Amino acid sequence: MALIIVIEDNALISRLAEKLLTRAGHQVVVAETGEDGLTAIFEYLPQLVLMDLGLPDIDGQTVIGLLHQQAAHKTTPVIAFTAWPAETAYKMAKAYGCDGVITKPINTRTFAAEVETFMQPKPVLAGTPHIPDDLKLQ
Amino acid sequence: MTFVDQQTGKQTSIPAHNYSFDQLADIYNRARVDYIVPMPMNGKRMADYVRHYDIDLDASAIALTNNKTELGVIMTGIRGKRSWATRLGVIPEQRGHKIGQFLMELVIEKSRERHIRHVQLEVIKGNEPAYCLFIKLGFQEVRELLVIRRPPGRLRDTLAPVGAVVTPLVDEDIPSYLLQRDPAVAWTEETESLLHVGKLKGLHAKLPSGESGWAIFQCLPFQLTHFVLSPSASSDLAQALLYAIHTQYPMQDTKIENFPAQHPTWPVYQKLGYLESFRRIEMVLELAPDPKRGQNISQPLRHAI
Repeated sequence: MALIIVIEDNALISRLAEKLLTRAGHQVVVAETGEDGLTAIFEYLPQLVLMDLGLPDIDGQTVIGLLHQQAAHKTTPVIAFTAWPAETAYKMAKAYGCDGVITKPINTRTFAAEVETFMQPKPVLAGTPHIPDDLKLQ
Repeated sequence: MTFVDQQTGKQTSIPAHNYSFDQLADIYNRARVDYIVPMPMNGKRMADYVRHYDIDLDASAIALTNNKTELGVIMTGIRGKRSWATRLGVIPEQRGHKIGQFLMELVIEKSRERHIRHVQLEVIKGNEPAYCLFIKLGFQEVRELLVIRRPPGRLRDTLAPVGAVVTPLVDEDIPSYLLQRDPAVAWTEETESLLHVGKLKGLHAKLPSGESGWAIFQCLPFQLTHFVLSPSASSDLAQALLYAIHTQYPMQDTKIENFPAQHPTWPVYQKLGYLESFRRIEMVLELAPDPKRGQNISQPLRHAI
């Protein structure tokens, strides 16, 4: 079981993610904005962060940049959680030091397992069938 | 569900000023929920957007059903004899009924009422339905624009310009530097936009070759954005200025919108760690003078790199 923070402004998506991860035995905290997400990360010290890149207040990338500057959170896995085109998503995730990418829409059958993949000591990229090698993160 | 008024048989809309910024942000977010690159807004961001980019809420509109359900949104910026169509979006389940066309025609009509000669917009490259609509309405491509990002991080010393002397600009002098700019910039980066967004900082650099110039940018708590370099800056000068900015603010994320794809300094940005996030196509519609409304004042069509 892990504590996961889902930073996602779309309530339908965050509720679905929360439901699937809770069912898989994890504890989930949802934040709808970048600011609330950062506050939640500092407060709860999660094992993993699922980060929507398009947020209504602060860009997801900016939040990730801020997070990586905090010593206490430097190693917290951050997964870009996005509907962006795959090439853009992977390029941005790699540049901003994310540990992986999960693309939307959520695949309800594989989502929890996909998230859990990134909790391993050496995360491997999952769900990337058509990404060129030079864009892969690990 | 229809967006045609049952009594008049006409499509209906209501000016955006009838809504709060929170409501406008909500309608916009719902309309763009499945957009290629979702860029959600909250009420504060919407209010800033309206102020920064001279959005005229009387010329901006919400399309409605006859029972007043929102179908889509469009916003219109107006500066002199130019208008800017932006934030166009149609709620996903309402698409396929030409609501986007209805909203665009509304902007064109509002522009004609104001004797505007040029309507401009940007469309994300790859958004074929929107691009085709704009072509159908007579818009022409001007150029491609990049949205570029640079993650926080220190630059390698090897990128440091040799012998460059860099000094900060006095904040009060920044507007006068901006007057020297090449006017061929995207709406969001025009001097009016920059003066509205505020929080501008600037640097001046002089190279051993004698070339000198300046950079102006917006410095937000977590992000650098809205970069302007002095006109005709060489690659060396651009590198000196960008290096100085990112050395001064190494841990700031950077986002620059609507940077001309063919700009000669783009390779310098790339060398300093910038990445293309996505592209937009800038388009312009030249409106013919309407004899019924009187002669419009001509405005030169802006061409840019």
